Amino acid sequence: MAAGSRPSQKPDRPIYAFLDRYATLIVLVLLILLNIAITPNFLSVQTLNVNLTQVCTIVIVAVGMTLVIATGGIDLSVGSLMAIAGALAPMIFMGKIFGIEHVGLAVGLAIILSVAVAGALGAFNGWLVATFHIQPIVATLVLFIAGRGIAQVMTNGNLQVFSVPEFQFIGLGRILGLPFQVIIMAVVVVWAAWMLRRTVFGRQILAIGGNEKAAELAGVPVGRVKIAVYAISGLLAGIAGLIVIAINSASDANLVGLGMELDAIAAVAVGGTLLSGGRASIWGTLLGALTIQIVRYTLLANGVPDAAAMVVKAAIIIAAVWIQRKARAS
Amino acid sequence: MTISRRQLLLTTTAALAATAVARSAFAGLPTLEVKDTYKVGFAQTESNNPWRLAQTNSMQAEAEKRGWQLVYTDAAGSAAKQVADVNSMIAQGVDLIFLAPREEIPLIPAIKAAKGAGIPVILLDRNVDQSLAKAGEDYVTFIGSDFIEEGRRVAEWLVNNKPGGGKIIELEGTAGSSPANDRKEGFDTFIADHASFEIVASQTGDFARDKGRQVAETLLQAHPDADVIYAHNDEMAIGAISAVEAAGKVPGKDVLILSIDGGREILQLVIDGKVAAVCECNPRFGPKAFDTAAAYANGEDIPGKIINPDNFYDASNAADLIDTAY
Repeated sequence: MAAGSRPSQKPDRPIYAFLDRYATLIVLVLLILLNIAITPNFLSVQTLNVNLTQVCTIVIVAVGMTLVIATGGIDLSVGSLMAIAGALAPMIFMGKIFGIEHVGLAVGLAIILSVAVAGALGAFNGWLVATFHIQPIVATLVLFIAGRGIAQVMTNGNLQVFSVPEFQFIGLGRILGLPFQVIIMAVVVVWAAWMLRRTVFGRQILAIGGNEKAAELAGVPVGRVKIAVYAISGLLAGIAGLIVIAINSASDANLVGLGMELDAIAAVAVGGTLLSGGRASIWGTLLGALTIQIVRYTLLANGVPDAAAMVVKAAIIIAAVWIQRKARAS
Repeated sequence: MTISRRQLLLTTTAALAATAVARSAFAGLPTLEVKDTYKVGFAQTESNNPWRLAQTNSMQAEAEKRGWQLVYTDAAGSAAKQVADVNSMIAQGVDLIFLAPREEIPLIPAIKAAKGAGIPVILLDRNVDQSLAKAGEDYVTFIGSDFIEEGRRVAEWLVNNKPGGGKIIELEGTAGSSPANDRKEGFDTFIADHASFEIVASQTGDFARDKGRQVAETLLQAHPDADVIYAHNDEMAIGAISAVEAAGKVPGKDVLILSIDGGREILQLVIDGKVAAVCECNPRFGPKAFDTAAAYANGEDIPGKIINPDNFYDASNAADLIDTAY
C-alpha cells in the first residue's frame, strides 16, 4: 500500500476488501465478456458443457483441498490417490481380482471399493498429521510419491482399456440433459458449503485452522477432525479418479491425476481461501476453478499454445494472493 | 629432469587420447566375422507400452527363428541403466549390439565403448546426436521409421480421399519431441500445396488420451466447421473420438479422424468406421535388424540410415490386417 501515510490509507480499505470478496467473480465475468467478444461460438450450450465437464474433476478435488487447507494443512497426495482409484476400479470390474459374473454387482463393488481405498489412504495422511504432528506437506508427500508407484505396480505400468457402459455412466451419462459428473460436482459443492457453514464439524475445521491451540483448549477434538478432513479429501480424489477413467474408457496409472494437486491448490488460492487456514470459501474455490478453466479455454480456442496458458495461470494466482494480503493488511 | 605427477598424468592422457583417435580414425568400424550363429545383445529402453512390447517380441522371435542367442536387457526408462546394460553386454562378449537409445547424447559413451571393444552397434528406432557419433564410423547404421514420411502419407491419403477439401484440427505430440516435430512437418508441408485444405488449429495434446480429448473438445467448439482431426498418435485420436461424440457429431461421417501408430485398438476403430485412416509406425524390427547384421558380416555396403517400412490402414484393408497389428 502506498507509502503508509495515514490519510491516504483509509480510502483504500473498502476497495481491497471489496476486491478480496468479489475479485474472482469479477475476473470470471470479465473473462466471459472477453470470450463473447473474441471467441467464435462461445455463447452456446455446448461450450458450457465442455467447460463444466472439463472442470468437474478439478472442482471435486479442490473442495476436499479447501477443507484440508482450512485446517491449516495441505494435501499433495490427491493426484496419486486418483491414480490408485483409477487403477483399482478396472481391475475389479474386469474381474482381475474377484470373479464376479454380474456386471452391476462388479461395477458397484469396483466403485465403492476403489473410492474407499482412496478414502482410507487419505485417513492415513490425516493419521500421520494428527498423531505424529508431521508437517502436512511432508506427510502427504509420502503418498504423493509412493501412491503413483503403487498404481503403476498394480497395473505393471500398462494401459487398462475397457468398455463397460454401466461403469462409464459416471463420466459419460446424462440425467435430464445434465452430464452426470456435473451433478456429482454440484452435490459435492453444495454439501461442502453447507457443512462448512452450518455444522459443528464445519466450525471445528475453521477453528483448528484459525488457532489450533485455542481450539484444542476449547474442547475441539483436533486429531479426529483432521483425520476426517484428510479422509474426505482422499474420498473425493477417488471419485475424481473414477470420472477421469470413465470418460476415457482407459486407465493409465502414469497419467491419471498427474499435476492435479497443483491445479486444486491453485483453484483454492484463486478462490480466496487463506492458505494459512482459518477461513475458507467453497463457492470461492468453485469460482477459482472455473476462472482457471476459462483462461485455458480462451487461450486454446484462440490458438495460443498451452505453455502460455501456464504462465497466465501463474499470473492469476499471484494476483489473487496479492489481493488477499492487501485486504488483510488494511 | 624430474617429472611431476601432473605432467605424467597430462602426457599419459594425451597419449591415450591420441591412441583412441588414431584407432577410431584408422580402424573404422569393428568387423563381424561370418559364422553360422551369433550371440547378439538387444538393449531395450523401456517396456511400458504395447509398441515397445511388440518391438521386443519381434526381436526375440527373429533370434529364435535364426537360432541366434539373444542377450536382452530393459533399461526401464533410464539412460544411465541403458549405458550399464551395454557395458555388461560388452563384458559378456556379444558379437553385435542392437541398441534402442533412450536419449540422443547420454548413450554416446556406450556406443564408443562398444566400438573400443570391437563390437559393432546397430541403432533401432531412435537416433543419436549426429555431431558426436556417425553412422559408418561409430555405429553401423540406424534402422527406424521416417516420421516425416508418416505425416506426409496421412496428408496424401486425406487429399486423395476427400476431394472437396476440408478444415483440419491437428493434435500435436509432446512439444519438442522428434516424432511430434516430424509428423507435423510432413503433414503440414503436403497440405500447404493443396489450397482446398486448411489447418484451422494445431495444439499439443502431449500424446495422451485425456489431454487429447480435452484439447479436441475445446478446438471443435471454437471451430465447429472443422471436419478433419489429424492426431500424431493413436491415444490422442481415441481421445478425439470421445470429443467428437460429446459434440453431438458422428466420427467418420461428420469428422474424419486420422492417426499415426497403428496399434490393434485403433485398427478395430477403423473397422468400426470411427477412424478413417492410420499410418503405422512399425515396431517389428526383428527381420530388418537381423538381415542387416548378417549383411554386415558378409561385408556388404550398409547405408547410414535404413527405413523400416510402415503399413497404411484404412477401411479397405483394416479388417484383413488387424491380426498382424501389434
